[in-house]
Amino acid sequence: MSLFLPAVEQGLIYGLMALGVYISFRVLAFPDLSVDGTFPLGAAVAATLIISGWDPFLASLVAAGAGMVAGAFTGILSTKFRIQGLLAGVLTMIMLYSINLRVMGRPNLPLLGRPSALSTAVEALGLPRTWGLVVVAALLVLGIKLILDLFFHTELGSAMRATGDNPHMVQAFGVNPETMVILGLALANGLVALSGALVAQYSGFADVGMGVGTIVAGLASVIVGEMILRPRGVFWATVAVLLGSSLYRGAILVALRYGSVLGFTASDLKLLTALVVLGALMAPAIRARLRGEEA
Amino acid sequence: MILELSGIWKIFRLGTEAVEALCGVDLALEEGEFVTVIGSNGAGKSTLLNVIAGTCRPNRGKVRIGGRDVTKWPAHRRARWIGRVFQDPLRGTAAHMTLAENLALALKKGRRGLSLLLTPARKRYLRKLLEPLGMELERRLGERVGHLSGGERQAVTVLMATLARPKLLLLDEHTAALDPANAEKVLEITERLVGESRITTLMVTHRMDQALSLGNRLIMMHKGRIRLDLEAEEKSRLGVGDLVDLFRRLGVTDDALLLANNGVDKT
Repeated sequence: MSLFLPAVEQGLIYGLMALGVYISFRVLAFPDLSVDGTFPLGAAVAATLIISGWDPFLASLVAAGAGMVAGAFTGILSTKFRIQGLLAGVLTMIMLYSINLRVMGRPNLPLLGRPSALSTAVEALGLPRTWGLVVVAALLVLGIKLILDLFFHTELGSAMRATGDNPHMVQAFGVNPETMVILGLALANGLVALSGALVAQYSGFADVGMGVGTIVAGLASVIVGEMILRPRGVFWATVAVLLGSSLYRGAILVALRYGSVLGFTASDLKLLTALVVLGALMAPAIRARLRGEEA
Repeated sequence: MILELSGIWKIFRLGTEAVEALCGVDLALEEGEFVTVIGSNGAGKSTLLNVIAGTCRPNRGKVRIGGRDVTKWPAHRRARWIGRVFQDPLRGTAAHMTLAENLALALKKGRRGLSLLLTPARKRYLRKLLEPLGMELERRLGERVGHLSGGERQAVTVLMATLARPKLLLLDEHTAALDPANAEKVLEITERLVGESRITTLMVTHRMDQALSLGNRLIMMHKGRIRLDLEAEEKSRLGVGDLVDLFRRLGVTDDALLLANNGVDKT
């Protein structure tokens, strides 16, 4: 039970990152790998600003803005310069590795004793330390989720969904699919960077290596959530993402605490996560083969 | 003049080979004309539509829509004035979105704002638009378009293409992939919608009987050129046999096209 609260806390904070991955992978059908760079970018920007005395809320907002710029950059590479989506994301990610080091000035910035956006809010609302953080994180993340749901039902947001579905069609109805991809990737990476900023404040440090495997963790959350809820429509899809994220973080916490019994160490986590994603991705083909159909 | 093409050349490079898809095409459409386009495979019919829609830029020549030179405009900018239906029913709609969402996206062309796509009033309006199709689609507004049959999807696409009252409607063999009953139905819907709104229409078809019975002007293309341009009066005097003769006289020996119109359908 003692793992429940932290799992939900982390599930929500990392859930923003998973929502970003949902937007690029599912809504836009764009395999965006820049998130491995924009997650630590958000952490780096927020940590640097907080250390130089900025308000943690403002610092987190600026971090989200930095992520949006990076996401738009990937979008421009892939649309205006016709660079393959995967490659465009990898290029942004690699560039961000150097940029993140520049931003922080060194590979790791500790934030111990510094104000954090979420815990400042917990104090301001007079909530107890035990479950206050979960409440504040839930308010923030669910609020963002609802705004996203609403956005995807506006004319602009619907045009964005239609772009991922059928770019020919939206073009025929006067929407520039390139603009939709750029906007969508900006939105996605803004969320990922905001998530990185909050994770840095939550865990008390920003590290240049903290982005490795972000995309796999995000995909794992999206896929796990989809398998459980089988959502139809944006509202349930984003609920599924946040549920998947919480389950995924819970699984990691369990693995970290009890994994040693089976001989696992923390460094095996990425392998295990990738195997989970791989299993989920292989499942349809395996099922088809078991049913005797051509895979 | 709604549409004016002057001296359009389009040459594709396939490896070391250059394929001349359009060789100096001139074409002018008056408001309200319904032109059927027929021609052998590789005659340049689809390229012609692509050049007009802006998904393909000509090497030479000018495209004017409503008197404005749009040669350098991207497709999405011209879309304000152009409705288009492709042969593939999957191409005109977003499968994972609902019928209502698809139609609402087609209602408005140009800039998309942050107002809600579907309002109760808009849904009522869409329901009214679907009723005359006679397919009971007005009851399925909330369903994903992917669940609709090919014929239903193509009927919806035709409706969507005409919704925003474009100046020009481009139909690219839009019934060729459907079974005969559905093709008939979609054609009937097309005729009604075009007739009601008097949208200038350019319809590519490989069926000579369709090319003759529909519209008020017929164009025949061969090897990137317009070889025959018949006004309503001449057209009404012709039968499929006469058209086949005309083709032969022009040196068209595309057996697929000729066979398709002697009862053996190539699709």
